[in-house]
Formats: sequence, C-alpha cells, structure tokens
Amino acid sequence: MKPSRILSTSLFAFAVLAGSSGARAEVSPLDLVGPIADYKIYVSENLEKLVADTRQFTDAVKAGDLDKAKSLFGSTRMSYEAIEPIAELFSDLDASIDSRADDHEKAEKDPGFTGFHRIEYGLFAENSTKDLAPFADKLMADVTDLNKRITDLTLPPEKVVGGAAVLMEEVAATKISGEEDRYSHTDLWDFKANFDGSRKIFDLVRPLIEKDEGDFITKVSANFDKVDETLGKYKTAEGYELYDKLSEDDRAVLAAAVNTLAEDLSTLRGKLGLN
Amino acid sequence: MQQQPPSPAPSSKLLRLAVAGAALLVVAGGVAFYLASAKLAGQSAGNAILVTIKDGACTPNDITVPAGRSTFKIVNESDRALEWEILDGVMVVEERENIVPGFSQTMEAKLRAGDYEITCGLLSSPRGSLHVTPSAESDAEAARPSVSAFIGPLAELQVFLVTQVNTLAKASKALDEAVKAGDLDGARAAYQAARVPYKAIEPMADMFADLHNMIDPVADYLEKREADPAFTGFHRLEYGLFAQNSTDGLAPVADRLVADIATLKDRLRGLRIPPEQIAKGSARLMRMLGENRIASGHDHYSQTDLADFSANLDGVTRMMALLRPVAIEANAAAVADIEKTTAEMAGALAALRGSDGFPAYAAVAADDRQALAGKARAVGDSIGKLNAALGLE
Repeated sequence: MKPSRILSTSLFAFAVLAGSSGARAEVSPLDLVGPIADYKIYVSENLEKLVADTRQFTDAVKAGDLDKAKSLFGSTRMSYEAIEPIAELFSDLDASIDSRADDHEKAEKDPGFTGFHRIEYGLFAENSTKDLAPFADKLMADVTDLNKRITDLTLPPEKVVGGAAVLMEEVAATKISGEEDRYSHTDLWDFKANFDGSRKIFDLVRPLIEKDEGDFITKVSANFDKVDETLGKYKTAEGYELYDKLSEDDRAVLAAAVNTLAEDLSTLRGKLGLN
Repeated sequence: MQQQPPSPAPSSKLLRLAVAGAALLVVAGGVAFYLASAKLAGQSAGNAILVTIKDGACTPNDITVPAGRSTFKIVNESDRALEWEILDGVMVVEERENIVPGFSQTMEAKLRAGDYEITCGLLSSPRGSLHVTPSAESDAEAARPSVSAFIGPLAELQVFLVTQVNTLAKASKALDEAVKAGDLDGARAAYQAARVPYKAIEPMADMFADLHNMIDPVADYLEKREADPAFTGFHRLEYGLFAQNSTDGLAPVADRLVADIATLKDRLRGLRIPPEQIAKGSARLMRMLGENRIASGHDHYSQTDLADFSANLDGVTRMMALLRPVAIEANAAAVADIEKTTAEMAGALAALRGSDGFPAYAAVAADDRQALAGKARAVGDSIGKLNAALGLE
C-alpha cells in the first residue's frame, strides 16, 4: 500500500496533537542512570549470546552442513535484532553485518554485500554453503568486534530511550513488508526480537513515568501484549513459522499495533526530558 | 484524587464511524506515519538545510553549520529508498531510514563542533562533508555540562560497580569454601582474588561506613588490636591465613564477610550516585593513600599492599575514563593533568613489580614508599580539581 500525501498530512496533524501533550512529567536526569545501566547489562547479555550463537552458525556454514546452518539462521539473528538501536550505531559494522542487497550497487552480486543477509542468500536462495566460508569468517570477526566496541561504549541515553520507538519505526517502515529476510522468510523471528528489545526499554523507564502517565502506560502495554499474542499464534517448537504463513488479518493487527507503538514510544524521550 | 470531567455520551453510530475511521488511519498509516513524524521536526524548527540526493551524490556536498541544533531536510531524487546518516568516524550521530524516492524527510541533530561525514545514497556512494564550527552557546554548554550529560558516565559506573561486586561476591564465596575445607593455600589464593575487586570499587564502597568497618577494618585502629572483637572481615582472615598459618576458627569470619558483601552488593545496585561523587570519592581515596596508607601499609600479615594500591589505582583510572568524554569538552587541561598523574603512579608501581608480581611490602624501601606516596598525592590533587573544572562545585 502506497502512502498518499493526503493521508500523510492528516497523520501529521495527529502527530502534532500527540506530541504536544508530552512534556509535563518531571523526571530527574539521575533517575535515568539505573535504567540505562540495566539496559547496558541487557545489551551485554545479548551480545554474549550473539557471539556464541554466531560461532555455532558460522561453524555449521563452514562445515558445509546446509540444514543445520539454515535452522540456526533465524535464532542467531535474534540477539542482534533485540539490541539493534545500539548495534547500528557503528555504521561500518552495521553495513558489514546487516546490510541488505538493496544497499549495494550490484545487489546480491556486489562484493561489498556481506554479513547475515549474504549468507542467508547463499543458504536459502542458492541452497548451498558453497563459497560462504569467507563470509562466515567475516561475520564472526565483525560480531566479535561489535561486542568489544559496545562493551567500551558509554551508551548515549537519548539513543537508548529513543531506541524503543526506532525499533518499531523500522519494523513499520522497512520490515513489515517481509523484505528483511526475503530469502529465508524468518521475519517473525526478527519481529519478536525487535518487539522484545523495544519492550525492554519501555519496561526499564516505565517506573519513572508510572505516576503521571498511567494512560500512556496502559495503552502501550496493551499494544505490546497484542503483538505478543499475535506472534504467539505462529510459535513453533524451534521458533516461528515462515513469514508467508502470517494471515492477512494478523498482519493488519501487527501493522496497526506497530504503528501505534512507534507513534506512542516516540514521545518517550520528551516525557523523560531527553530532547 | 482525580475526577473525570463528565462527558456527553456520543451516539453509538457516530462512535462506530469514528472507531472505524481511526482504525483505517492506523492500518493504512505505516510508512505515512513515519514520514509524517519525520516532517514534524522540520516544520517546527524553521530554517532547514536542504540536502538533495541524486545519482549517488549529495547536493550540496560540503556543508558548514554552527554547533548546536540544526535541521536538515533530505530530498530523495534517486530511484530507490535510502537512508541518510551523519557520521562521526564510524559512529552514527543521527540517521533517517527509508526515505522513499520522490519524498523528503526532515531531521534535527544536535551537533558538537568538529568534522563529520554525511552519506549520499548507497553504501558505496562517496560521502559528503559536514563541518560544525564552535558557537558561543555550545562552548558555554560544554564548559558547564548539565546533569543530563552525566547520565551515560554514571550508568557505566553503575555497570562497573555491579560487575566488580559480582566478582567480589563470587570470590568471597570461594574464600569461604576454602576456609571451611581447611585448604590453607586455596584460601590464601582466594583471599588475594577477592581483594582486587574490593579495592577497585573502594572509592564508592567506603561510602558505607558501617559495612566498610566490618569488611575492611585494620587492627592498628582497634583498641585491642588483633584480639579486638571488632577485628573482622578481610584483615581478620588475612591474620589467620598468613600470620597464624591456619584456617582454624575462620569459618564464622568468612561467613560474615560473605554476608556483608551481599549487603554491599544490594546497596550498590540501588545507589544513586551524584556526578560530583565520582571525583570526590576518587580524590579522597588517593589522598588517603598518599598521606598515610602507603607509608604504613595495611596488609601486615600477607604483605600484599602493592597489589591493593594497584587495584585502587585501576578502579580510580576506570572512573576517570568514564568521565573523560564530558570532562574533555569542559576542561581539557584538567583531564590531561589527571591522565599524567595516574600514568606516573602506574609507572611507579610497574617499576616495583618483579617478574613474579609485586614483592612483599616489607621489602619495599622507605624511599620507594615515599616516592609512591608522592605520586598518589599528585593523583588525588589532580582529581581533586576536577569537580570545579566541571562546574560541579
């Protein structure tokens, strides 16, 4: 569905109204220290898992075990997707770990196309592990480097709090279409991780605004619950169903929830005095 | 107590229509919302800097703005969706994703003085330049950073304290187990391992006077010295393990240490540290070392004082590193002074270290102790000036 300019204008007016009610709660900057610290620990735990999972995944690729490599692709990405607002702060690693073919001039044939989606292309589109070993080594090295860099990084508070909305905006703008994991169709795994990552941020700062923003919290929580419930229908023993199994109705439910979440969560920074 | 204002009930037909309309807007609004919210910033901010992207190039390709808030309007005249980023080295400062062909998005960025790059389409497209020149407003803000500027460093400090106190808790349990197993060598090694994280967080841990007096009292300051019932914690264990060469009777002491460290862990987790406390605590500890502790020593039985001083310095150095990004903007000379004095004390400690680690403290000559004490005082003095340099006192 293509957005029309008229629709965009009416939503713009709506966004103005929604935005103007944001800045009344008084939150002391020092109240944010605990949540940001807890989020750093959450990020570190995810990175630890990412490094371990990527090792298993890339080992399978290099061993030529196509079935095993395919089965590990969706789950390996989850700890990356959960912390994407921080992981994508390093532009070089974001490009080498998670760029899509469209980001490159020659698409799938571009020598600069590396990382998860290049390996995904090999495994699921070409149905082979042939010639993937150098990409596997590169991905492992990049993920290890990412872990080290983020460990040393002082997280910018506005990127952490803003990350809750960023995750939802990315799902709305460039993922709900199924274009992210276009060869493997494991998009629902990514969604789940994106939602969990967004909700983690929301849950961490929630006590700071609980008193003044009860309605906001109820609304956001209800939308997160709706997403969880919808995704829950597609849970399998190993993870999630392929994206083409998602019914049109459920897709509409997800799209509505994700847009509302993106819109609501974009006011978090303002509510917490971080604009 | 809040009261809802009374509102007339809308007709159910109207309500249904409104709900249906709202739902339609929400469902249809995917990309549209994103574009709309991105436009919002620009409309309110006024004078946006227009950047047009076409054929893998930005026009203009070399932009200069004053430090502070700037608004950019990015027009995508290429034939594919693109993202636009402002980069500081490899770090993304701000970005807008999914700018659809034929559309524009507006983005606000708060930039510090310096040279940045902008992306212009595909990953392989040559980047443009963005120069941010100093402004009076941004200079003043950097010189007197707001409390918000310390959220990041304080959060990292919290992570550091939690990590160290977890290591400490684990090490103290290992010490307890070795003591109870009557394993003298194991207990001695575990004792050393537990000291390191404790000393690293001492500038913060010693704020809790009650715990500090139970975890780390020195016999010298107690009325009946080693026989005093208040002689507990690390040094009581050290006395048993290294002076009496035995684990006998130490089990209750080790149990109590484990419990006290668990309490310390709970308190550190919920601790609300004001920004000025970092330099204050660090300076106080280093001055204490310089004025007294290095001369007299605290580890009379194990003679491991140098390892303690080294761990103290490591902790203080880490805490200063956390403040560095904020402090360097406010007062580069103060930061340079701290880095010089800490490096000098680290050098003095390294010079005393032999191939098997630090020597027994009794073997460290009075001159060397005096020199080391001078370095510690210099560290304390340089850090002692930091809060004033940051506008925190």
